[in-house]
Amino acid sequence: MMEGLKNMLVMIELELRRLRHDRTEIYFRAVQPILWILIYGPVMSSVRAIPTGGVPYTDFITPGVMIQTTTFVSIFYGLMMVWERESGILKKLLVTPASRYSMVIGRSMASGVRALFQALIILPIALIIGVRFIPNPAYFSLAFTIIFFASGGFAAISILVASFMKTRERFMGIGQAIIMPLFFASNALYPVQMMPPILREFSTFNPLSYVVDAVRGLLITGDLSNLLMDLVAIAIFDAVSFILASISFKRIIE
Amino acid sequence: MDFAVQVKNLVKVYDGKVKALDGVELDVEPGEVFALLGPNGAGKTTLIRILTTQLKPTAGEAYIFGLNVVRNGGKVRRLISYVPQEMSVWTDISGYENLLVYAKIFDVPSHERGKIIDEVLENMGLTHVKNDLVRTYSGGMIRRLEIACAMLTKPKIMFLDEPTIGLDPAARKVVWERLGVFKEEYGVTIFFTTHYMDEADLYADDIAIINQGKIVARGTSEDLKHSLGGEVISFTLEKAAIKPELFQELRKLVFVKDVLVENGSLNVFVDDAESTLSILMNFLKSEGLSVGKVSINKPTLDDVFLKHVGTRLEEKGRISDVTQMRYMIRRG
Ligand SMILES: Nc1ncnc2c1ncn2[C@@H]1O[C@H](COP(=O)(O)OP(=O)(O)O)[C@@H](O)[C@H]1O
Ligand SMILES: [Mg+2]
Repeated sequence: MMEGLKNMLVMIELELRRLRHDRTEIYFRAVQPILWILIYGPVMSSVRAIPTGGVPYTDFITPGVMIQTTTFVSIFYGLMMVWERESGILKKLLVTPASRYSMVIGRSMASGVRALFQALIILPIALIIGVRFIPNPAYFSLAFTIIFFASGGFAAISILVASFMKTRERFMGIGQAIIMPLFFASNALYPVQMMPPILREFSTFNPLSYVVDAVRGLLITGDLSNLLMDLVAIAIFDAVSFILASISFKRIIE
Repeated sequence: MDFAVQVKNLVKVYDGKVKALDGVELDVEPGEVFALLGPNGAGKTTLIRILTTQLKPTAGEAYIFGLNVVRNGGKVRRLISYVPQEMSVWTDISGYENLLVYAKIFDVPSHERGKIIDEVLENMGLTHVKNDLVRTYSGGMIRRLEIACAMLTKPKIMFLDEPTIGLDPAARKVVWERLGVFKEEYGVTIFFTTHYMDEADLYADDIAIINQGKIVARGTSEDLKHSLGGEVISFTLEKAAIKPELFQELRKLVFVKDVLVENGSLNVFVDDAESTLSILMNFLKSEGLSVGKVSINKPTLDDVFLKHVGTRLEEKGRISDVTQMRYMIRRG
């Protein structure tokens, strides 16, 4: 347990050191979400087609857009795993005394840190264009903690996928095929009630919906009625992805 | 006293198809520099990966200082360090940071960390670039950083998979000098694979030649060369003149230890060239062959290799290794 925690911190430190040397990727990845809230948000809100429960449409989608980007970061973290597998990095890591599960959880949470920066960078822009956040530091901290842990879970899923994919090209394809459906079949851009029934069903199993719901409640609407259920759902999602990824991790170097 | 490495009848079959190891038997004494020499695809990497607990053998057993690599994997990993054949450092952080991450994973106490890292950097001659991004390092510097990383924990045995692949001769020499000093100081056992003949010859106390998953020869460089005889006499003949029957006849001569042919040159291994040269010349003349040129040499490890593997190690392979290594580095 202590060993796992220590290795997790080491992997997070590695990620922070990387970020210190080179942040261009974070800036580039911020372009897309900024376009969503800068252009898509205002345009759609002028149509007034989507019931948002009284908040401006741009405000409504800001958490969803933020979480879509962080999910992107996490899912493509597996790409780095594939590269590390092609090189000797993973082989060497697995020959250290560090346990497999501590490597998987450590790397996943390291991706969570990267995702956190990715989410934070969108905040000032959202503020400038007038998105109104609930000014409560406790809500803020909880929202970003949720983003951190949820991103870790998605990164574990991507490690799981990486352990089955032999090439980076294939991984890229799979990554896209996972993220877009997750995003569109979630409550990120519209309330679940607006979806056709089948998608609504799917949305109950979509971890992204719970994350968006919790973060939207904490940052924008202040509606925390589902918070507990969201937290439980995210915890289950994390546990399942960590376990599956740990089991398949050995395969990654074989 | 346990062997540093003990391998018994080891077999590895990939995906039920490719037989990479086919009954390997091997003992390595503690404290020696051991070279596993073989052509590409011989099974060197597979053997190292089993010994370092990454892969499970299909059959047979392997022990590191008496510990079974399958059953006691965790304990084995505390004794060993490993440099994979491929590049294995993060290129987007500095050399120092790479070592720092591993020092932490290996639980090097925090008050010693800085000192030990500086020490291994010094050992491998990297002090002046320690804060530069690894991306800016040359191939030789990257390899030295990887070896520095393997030195961090003062392991009982280091596994180096082609430690000098793709390096120019000067860079290779530096790597081996540094390794030599480290070994003297800490008495670590070094187990390395290579397909550079001269490297095994110069730096290994003990050599095993592996081909198609089997150990085909074993001994010190001297032993191996001696097994061919004390000297080799090379006759340049017309290619067409070298017939199998000629082999048979030559082998019948009591003082002939072995006969090998390559590129129109007939190499006869004998203990003493001076006393046998005239007999051989007469023999060839009586067979109606005209001898172009004669030279007398000591057998080389290359000759040993040729005998056991059937070909010399090709220059071609080396060049593609270099490009491959460069490619890896650029991508990182
Ligand atoms: N992961 C793998 N899956 C399937 N076959 C493999 C794998 N690794 C190596 N091989 C095969 O096993 C044989 C031995 O390879 P290897 O141990 O890498 O040899 P060497 O290191 O001596 O070049 C080769 O035929 C190679 O193609
Ligand atoms: Mg190899």
